[in-house]
Amino acid sequence: MAAAPPGKAYQYRPEIGFINDVGPVLPLKIRKIIPSVHSDLLVRLEEIRLRALRPLALGLDTGDVFINEAGTVVEDPEKAYLVSRDDVERCLGLVSGSSIYALEEEIKNGFITIPGGHRVGIAGKTVLESGRVRTLKYFSGVNIRISREVIGCARPLLPGIIDSEGGTIRHTMIFSPPRCGKTTVLRDAVRMISDGIPELGLPGRAVGLVDERSEIAGCYCGIPQRNVGLRTDVLDGCPKAEGMTMLLRSMGPSVIATDEIGGHEDVRALEEVLNAGVRVIFTVHGSSLEELAARPALNYLFRLGVVECFVQLGRDKRAGVVKGIFDSKKFLKAGAFQCLS
Amino acid sequence: MFKLIGAAVLVAAGGAAGMLVARDYARRPVEIRSIISALQMLETEIIYAATPLGEAMERVACATDGLVAGFFREASRSLSSGEGATAGEAWEKSLAGFYRQSSLTAGDFAILKNLGLALGRSGRADQEKHLKLACEQLKREMAGAEEAAAKNTRMWNYLGFCGALAAVIILY
Repeated sequence: MAAAPPGKAYQYRPEIGFINDVGPVLPLKIRKIIPSVHSDLLVRLEEIRLRALRPLALGLDTGDVFINEAGTVVEDPEKAYLVSRDDVERCLGLVSGSSIYALEEEIKNGFITIPGGHRVGIAGKTVLESGRVRTLKYFSGVNIRISREVIGCARPLLPGIIDSEGGTIRHTMIFSPPRCGKTTVLRDAVRMISDGIPELGLPGRAVGLVDERSEIAGCYCGIPQRNVGLRTDVLDGCPKAEGMTMLLRSMGPSVIATDEIGGHEDVRALEEVLNAGVRVIFTVHGSSLEELAARPALNYLFRLGVVECFVQLGRDKRAGVVKGIFDSKKFLKAGAFQCLS
Repeated sequence: MFKLIGAAVLVAAGGAAGMLVARDYARRPVEIRSIISALQMLETEIIYAATPLGEAMERVACATDGLVAGFFREASRSLSSGEGATAGEAWEKSLAGFYRQSSLTAGDFAILKNLGLALGRSGRADQEKHLKLACEQLKREMAGAEEAAAKNTRMWNYLGFCGALAAVIILY
């Protein structure tokens, strides 16, 4: 007689396939705990947080929970599994392949990308050199952010992004506060534009993707681990401003996409690209049009009046909910320009 | 007749024991030199190529031979096994096996063990300091080992035979 099927918590679901990527970077004790967590929670898992001498926490779409050694959610933090300093050190050792020296630049930036495109954020004591962060030491916290691909999540944006009359892509800004799914939506938009959207009569186009934080394509050793389309060239780990110019010169893209535009340097590079006959899709942190307009670099960008479509994302029960799509005229009506000085 | 055979066995055993001790004296500087050379290769991989430690150790293993190659290969395997071992643990486990088979002393072992505790845990500049320090310490040990080898190798080779012969004469 066949063995009894494993309990519900152990049933394999494709949504929890990330365990295969994340498991090897967890210290042995925690590696055993995570698969014991109920699969309904694992499906909603967004973060695994290891903080030295504090309880093991899982970040779900609804907030944080603490778990004990059996992988059960506990209300009382004192009953949760207490993460030791050794757990954090081991986790960092496994994430870096015991080669901190090989990831100095990533550590300086505070995160390392692991196979599967998951991002591991690091906290500890910073070592400064001439007032700038040289490296981190005395690691005290690790945050493993689970990267998920949601195929088709950018579909609601298509009416805004695609100019069906002209058959072109509009210059588009996607904005939302953190953890609302900007990167996931951008990734899917890039995939669709790159592969083509036959139902809208849009052929596939060459897309240049500047992935400064390795979050969009989730590259590992230069190879995208996420589906970013058949015609997408990825510049992985490259500063956005430099990357956009490089792609423009070297790869002949029809569309350039990038994440988290914010500084003056980014906006200046964006201006170059916007005036070079290439379509641009980018994301920005911000919860409202007014908030965006209050940021000097973005204020300048709005004054240029070149961005044609603004997509606002939010979060209800899940991330990536489209709160509004504005074209530049509606954007004017929405009152954002009143904030422009 | 039996006395003669016994005497021959005694001389052979004494001679062999003396040669074994002499071999240890002769091997130690050779082994230390080989380790220093391997550590210098490891330093190049870490400092100039930023090669991940597991891969760097494997490359060093391929470029060396004998016990030292086995030591680096085993450390690389432990590190890449996915069993959650840190670089220090993988290094120490492999070092313990290497030490048993080698002619190294407890002092040499301690230098290598200390190096293992620091390997891969910091930036390139810091790794360079640790590797250079270990090499310097090993060079000092090697100077002592060469002196001891020059002094003791021949002595132990003769002492084994001569001591056994002396015993045979006394027993006769």
